[in-house]
Amino acid sequence: MATKYVLKLYVTGQTTNSVKAIGNLKNILKDGLKDICKLEVIDVLKNPQLAEKDKIMATPALVKVLPPPIRKIIGDLSDKKKVLSGLNLTIG
Amino acid sequence: MANKLNKVPSGIPGFDEISHGGVPKGRTTLASGTSGSGKTVFSSQFLYKGITECGENGVFVTFEESPQDIIRNVKGFGWNIEKLVKENKWAFVDASPDYSSSVEVGQYDLGAFLARIAHAVKKIKAKRVVIDSVSALFTHYQDSGIIRRELHELTVNLKKSNVTCIMTAEKPVEDEQISRYGVEEFVSDNVILLHNRLNSYGERERTVEILKFRGLFHDSEEASLYVGAQGINIYPKPRPKLTGKGFSQKISFGIKGLDDLLYGGVYKNSTTLITGASGSGKTVATLHFIMEGAKRGEKSLLIEFEESPNQLYRNAASFGWDLKKYVDNGIVKLLCCYPEDLRAEQYLQMIQNLVIANKAKRVVFDSISDIQRIYNDRKFRTFVISLNAFLKSHDVTSVFTNTSPQILGVTEITETHLSTASDNIIILKYVELDGRMHRIINALKERGSMHKKELMEFEITTESGVEIIGPFKGVENLMSGFARRIYQMGLDRKEAGKDIIADIAAGKI
Repeated sequence: MATKYVLKLYVTGQTTNSVKAIGNLKNILKDGLKDICKLEVIDVLKNPQLAEKDKIMATPALVKVLPPPIRKIIGDLSDKKKVLSGLNLTIG
Repeated sequence: MANKLNKVPSGIPGFDEISHGGVPKGRTTLASGTSGSGKTVFSSQFLYKGITECGENGVFVTFEESPQDIIRNVKGFGWNIEKLVKENKWAFVDASPDYSSSVEVGQYDLGAFLARIAHAVKKIKAKRVVIDSVSALFTHYQDSGIIRRELHELTVNLKKSNVTCIMTAEKPVEDEQISRYGVEEFVSDNVILLHNRLNSYGERERTVEILKFRGLFHDSEEASLYVGAQGINIYPKPRPKLTGKGFSQKISFGIKGLDDLLYGGVYKNSTTLITGASGSGKTVATLHFIMEGAKRGEKSLLIEFEESPNQLYRNAASFGWDLKKYVDNGIVKLLCCYPEDLRAEQYLQMIQNLVIANKAKRVVFDSISDIQRIYNDRKFRTFVISLNAFLKSHDVTSVFTNTSPQILGVTEITETHLSTASDNIIILKYVELDGRMHRIINALKERGSMHKKELMEFEITTESGVEIIGPFKGVENLMSGFARRIYQMGLDRKEAGKDIIADIAAGKI
């Protein structure tokens, strides 16, 4: 299946929020979205220049890069419904 | 001295004076002010001068304007930030709004923001950081508790790396709380307030005030702040000291009869006030004083608020004085301008610079009342006292003129703070007598010296300028402006008049 969505998740090392966000996002994507989403996890402690380039301030931050418009969600992504509507993502 | 070691030069002229050495080193200082109070220029200048004058690289974290906007805005001050960025001396952390909406879902922190600042500091080995303005963070994120915690961590990190930081904050209204979101609570060690108020004359007045520098000494009064062609200038409140020498040497005023009244002229480094109505001969008298100095090779500074250089040259030439020659060869420095051009503190600094640069020994201020017109009482008093103290301490003999409002009659000069500041007071007056106007001159006061108290009649002639003819005798009420002859018994009015005129003509009086 072709990639429909490009997502970037910015985290700060192994902080509680970061670990939670990675887990939560994987959970959200596992039902039908995994194959059509390309996810890149960026650790801003290792790659601060990427955070600078993309103007990321808060972490964790999930950015839907493609398709436009760009959408941004900050937080540990603990609410699946809000994440999906925030990204304007539909399942299927 | 120990105090200075704990501060870094701010790069803002005047600030290091009021702060007794600069910005607290290795700490975060909050600069809080309302919109338009100069926060961005202040912090940019701190960073720019830090690089160009102290060799300390700097990181600018911008929340409101984009880096491009900041580069463009300060270009007008002659600051080439683009070049510094290329040389890896200046780095931006761009936190300006990117207009993509973001939603908050669950817990977060500002880890990326902190990592970006740490990265920029490390990359260019920065010793200074500016965050402009931190208040924007509170509008971007809903949880202000998180912002506070993260900013606290940031200041701790910066302190560990021995980085000196200025954090600006938005103040909603003048003279209320220090900042909109209570930012001072966690960087409260050092707080600078930038004020921007409308004064009673309807002008914007910017001032800077150091609220606190924990454990470090600083001034506590507000100082004027001006944004000029080369950035911000701060004018510390003058601290005049009564330290002028008491010379016993007198110098000639340049008016023969007046020198006689003053028993040989005025004391060196004294201050003389010439007061009189418009057209009473004040400017001519000051020209005498300047030309006398010039003839002796004494340098002088002539500050003129009412006449242009060409007008002055023409008027001087009508008395046979080549003022232009002395201006051209640098003996006389002429400063002709409108008093409204600059504010009191700026004038003070300019005059001080000119006196020092030109080694002036005679200074004329024509007229001081023009300046009084545009400043409030307190400011005017400070101006006069500071100027006086400066001139005295540099062994300068000065003459100030004061324009009295009435053509005739007694005028008050005591109210203007001028009389106590002056060592000598010379009054020029018009008097109506026998159906015509006469000019009189009087040495009202000469501190520390004998002087003649007579009211002398004088003329202004093309041959010699102010020419003193002789004393009025047999006349009373001269000071009121409406004089009256005192008649002796047995003499009629006409005869009495003749008598006096004959006496004057014979040179008896």
